[in-house]
Amino acid sequence: MLDFLQVSGQQDLISVISSLIWLLFLMIFFIYPSFSQRLQLSYILRDLERRLQRLKVMRDEVRGKTVEVLRKYSGDGVKVDEELDKLLLSFMIAPESMDPYGIVYKLEHIVNTWEDVFEEHVKLICTKADEAWSKTLTNLVEVARGMDYLYRVVRHYYLLGRRTANIYIVLQIQMLMPQIMEIAEAYRRACYAFTQGQPIGDGVGVLAVAKLVEGLEKKTYQVAKDTIVHEFEMDGRRVFVLRAAGPGGAVGRPADGLLKILESERDKVKAVIMIDAALKLEGEETGKVVEGIGAAIGGIGVDKFKIEEISKKMNIPLYAFAIYQSIGEAITPMKKSIAKAADEVVEKVKKLISSKVDEGFSVIVAGIGNTVGIGIS
Amino acid sequence: MLPRRRGVEEIPQPLTHLKCLECGTVNSRPFTGGDYVFKEVEERCPKCGASKMKIIGIYVEEERKTP
Ligand SMILES: [Zn+2]
Repeated sequence: MLDFLQVSGQQDLISVISSLIWLLFLMIFFIYPSFSQRLQLSYILRDLERRLQRLKVMRDEVRGKTVEVLRKYSGDGVKVDEELDKLLLSFMIAPESMDPYGIVYKLEHIVNTWEDVFEEHVKLICTKADEAWSKTLTNLVEVARGMDYLYRVVRHYYLLGRRTANIYIVLQIQMLMPQIMEIAEAYRRACYAFTQGQPIGDGVGVLAVAKLVEGLEKKTYQVAKDTIVHEFEMDGRRVFVLRAAGPGGAVGRPADGLLKILESERDKVKAVIMIDAALKLEGEETGKVVEGIGAAIGGIGVDKFKIEEISKKMNIPLYAFAIYQSIGEAITPMKKSIAKAADEVVEKVKKLISSKVDEGFSVIVAGIGNTVGIGIS
Repeated sequence: MLPRRRGVEEIPQPLTHLKCLECGTVNSRPFTGGDYVFKEVEERCPKCGASKMKIIGIYVEEERKTP
């Protein structure tokens, strides 16, 4: 210390101390190059922890709400908590894709089985619920499952990042956090919509076709699981309106329904019109109706594949109407702008039919989406 | 202005819009359990007093936001 003072000449104690501190900092950065990264890591981890905590609160809220509703409809002696946990952790193993030939049908088989088992399980818990309600309750459990899975994935990356002190792991999850929190909030709202059976934004496609056939004289029958057809005459054209059966929450099996209709109508069908909710880009208007070409249907892709395949084989054009909404709006109670879009679509579909399908021929109009809260018109 | 951080938000409740099957008057009320679109309900029309109404829409009124 004395030597140092002599070397540095006439300085007071404070400047000596500050020089020392500077030296110390420089040493830290030279000897320990990952120091800044460590600092950043602890900052990100703290941020993640805070959001994970919020996510946990949301998950517990959704789970609690789901248990509450299931209990209301459950039979005596059913351990709702235990049964719900089984459902929340249930999983599906996607088929092997090393040899992709025929994978769509394998996937379809697995998904259909899973959905059926899931639904049966919910029905077993909620013996007091009628057919429509047990479908809506199945949707509710699916929402709870989605929320639970989201929480578990985020927790996994948080803990993994903390344990390995790996900034790249926590960075990845931190980058995705804004979208994840948005989806979580949507799940939370969806849970409230399903517990009460309120129509959601995704149901706009079904609502549109229901409005198209409202008050008309028609033949209604089931073509596939949860899927119905309204058949009627419009200005000399045979119209087949395909939709999932409501008012319970269901999306049905539109591709199977379409195939059934085509089996009997064959080349009389001159167009397939599909109406579905579509994800808007940020900044776009909710409830905007846009037109396009192709199979307007989401999900895992099985229905889309089957519809495209048959329409190509039979050379039937696919027309699509999409109603813009955000991911949150799609699974939360329907907004007015979306409900109004259904009326707009009805007019556009009528115009399209009269311009693209000649008299004496047939057209299939498919309303795609979840039917929760939307009855049969 | 920076967007404000959102806390846990209140969940907006939809309105049920009913149309009288007699006179066609449309009125609305808060959603109640069991409502679904196209359901016929036994409720009194506020205008003509008929007891059959049909639900023609269930949706959330959105507040006008400045873009
Ligand atoms: Zn009236």
